[in-house]
Amino acid sequence: MTLVLREAVVRRGGFRLAADFEIASEGVTVVFGPSGSGKSTLLATIAGLNRLETGSVTLNGRVLEDAFRKTRVPTHARGIGLVFQDARLFPHLTVRGNVAYAEGRRPAARNAPLTDEIARRLEFEALLDRPVRNLSGGERGRVALARAIVSAPELLLLDEPFAALDGKRRRDYLVLLRELSREQGVPMMVVTHQIDDAAELAAQMITMQDGRVIAHGSAGDVMARPDFLGLLDQRDIGVRLPASALAGRNAEGVWVRADSVLLASEEPRGISARHVWRGRVASVVREAAADVLVSLATDAGYILSRITPEALADLRLEEGATAWAVVKAHAL
Amino acid sequence: MTSLACTGNASVLPATMALRACDGRDMVRAMLTAAELQILSTSLGVAGRAVLFSLPVAIAFAWALSRRSFPGKSVLDTIAHLPLVLPPVLVGYMLLLGLGAQSPLGAWLKSSFGIQLVFTAEGAAIATAVMAFPLMVRAIRLSFEATDPGIFEAASVLRAGPWDRFWSTTLPLAWPGVLAGAVTAFAAGLGEFGAGITFASNVEGETQTLPLAINAALNTPGRDDMAFRLAMISLVAAITGLVLAEMLQRWARRRLDA
Repeated sequence: MTLVLREAVVRRGGFRLAADFEIASEGVTVVFGPSGSGKSTLLATIAGLNRLETGSVTLNGRVLEDAFRKTRVPTHARGIGLVFQDARLFPHLTVRGNVAYAEGRRPAARNAPLTDEIARRLEFEALLDRPVRNLSGGERGRVALARAIVSAPELLLLDEPFAALDGKRRRDYLVLLRELSREQGVPMMVVTHQIDDAAELAAQMITMQDGRVIAHGSAGDVMARPDFLGLLDQRDIGVRLPASALAGRNAEGVWVRADSVLLASEEPRGISARHVWRGRVASVVREAAADVLVSLATDAGYILSRITPEALADLRLEEGATAWAVVKAHAL
Repeated sequence: MTSLACTGNASVLPATMALRACDGRDMVRAMLTAAELQILSTSLGVAGRAVLFSLPVAIAFAWALSRRSFPGKSVLDTIAHLPLVLPPVLVGYMLLLGLGAQSPLGAWLKSSFGIQLVFTAEGAAIATAVMAFPLMVRAIRLSFEATDPGIFEAASVLRAGPWDRFWSTTLPLAWPGVLAGAVTAFAAGLGEFGAGITFASNVEGETQTLPLAINAALNTPGRDDMAFRLAMISLVAAITGLVLAEMLQRWARRRLDA
């Protein structure tokens, strides 16, 4: 999948979205940014629900919209799926009716699971003949996802589809998304403002702030950019480690918050923490909040730890010193 | 009046079976005279046809009026509401001018299709349809406007084009309003007087509906009894219609409430 937005500008009320990027990916691309940065508007624009003021949108070489040439492919003919945050199931149809709606309208040439197959895959077979009004938030989300997969889109957009889930169910959903993308060969663009979700899902990443796309590229590169931390809350500041740094982790990457990393000046022994990395202090930065951010260069990559100035003095952590970073598995 | 044939067996048959054997038609037949039955069936026929004629047009108007804005919207809105404020006699007269035997359109209908509207039940139905039109448009339009537009977006990202969306989401979701509009228009149609009598006249067995018959009976000395009985029939029919509309709407709303 190759998606290109060139100097695309959309205005909705007082809000202005400006996007210029190119993304090539067969997996999951995360659209990340704080609330109100224009993520949902970007998805709606790609799907054709907003009209471009200037610029163009091209998917796999096909021009979907070009404000200058005044061409515009309507939403229903774009072949782009969109899972809304509020699911938007059809209230007059059963669960089966909702999924079959998509099945009946997809082009014959495109391969995708049938209603019963996807229901089995997403484990809602028992709900198939129920009216949608009785479903829980999580169930609605799964049905909406199933419906979108069955419609066999060339690109599937998801607007915080897991906002209603938490804990283990949210984890499972994220794993499921990546598996579905791979199994069904559907490239996905997923909006989230949760840094953990972003790190876990993203192979590619687009970051947004104040209605502008500020960076795009591989998740590792984008999340390592100096301006990336500027998108985060103070307590979320940290680093992305690739999943390869953590054995047995089914994710693209993991976000390690500076707050959840302990530092030790000697190799720790006999502790319960699962993850210990040896490294060299690369930098020590004092924060405005009277805390200190220590950056440790390890084999897994840079790791950030937030400690107090007193701890810094006790451990004598200067640039170049050797130290160990310790992270509890539950913190990841 | 003869006693109900079906009640005679009540002592030997279980009560439920006796009730079933005694269907509604027998009851009505036993309670009404042949003339009253004729008038009632003319009324039901005229009102029913009126609903059939106006429903598709009302749906189209309601749909157009529920859209955000387009040139000519206020003109359309005015046209839809006009029968509400015009004197019914004037509506009948305008229909006569437009569709009467002397008018070009009326003459063409007669010569090409053999359709005559004046003095026929079809004519009465058209007059009734025009009068009930605003009620119907209003009910359906409210229903269209009450639907979450997000649902249509959801349909369009599942590859449903505009027509497809209309048939698969807009109309089924507005179904309670369409139903309520139709039933209300039907009940109101039973009471239509001025436009019908002006355009289609008062022909027994063809265009003489309940209100026309009541008027005729009141104007005939010694027919007060008949006028009263017809008025009661009219009242029962209208109330039944309204209650039915309310029940249908409640049922449909419950079914759709997510």
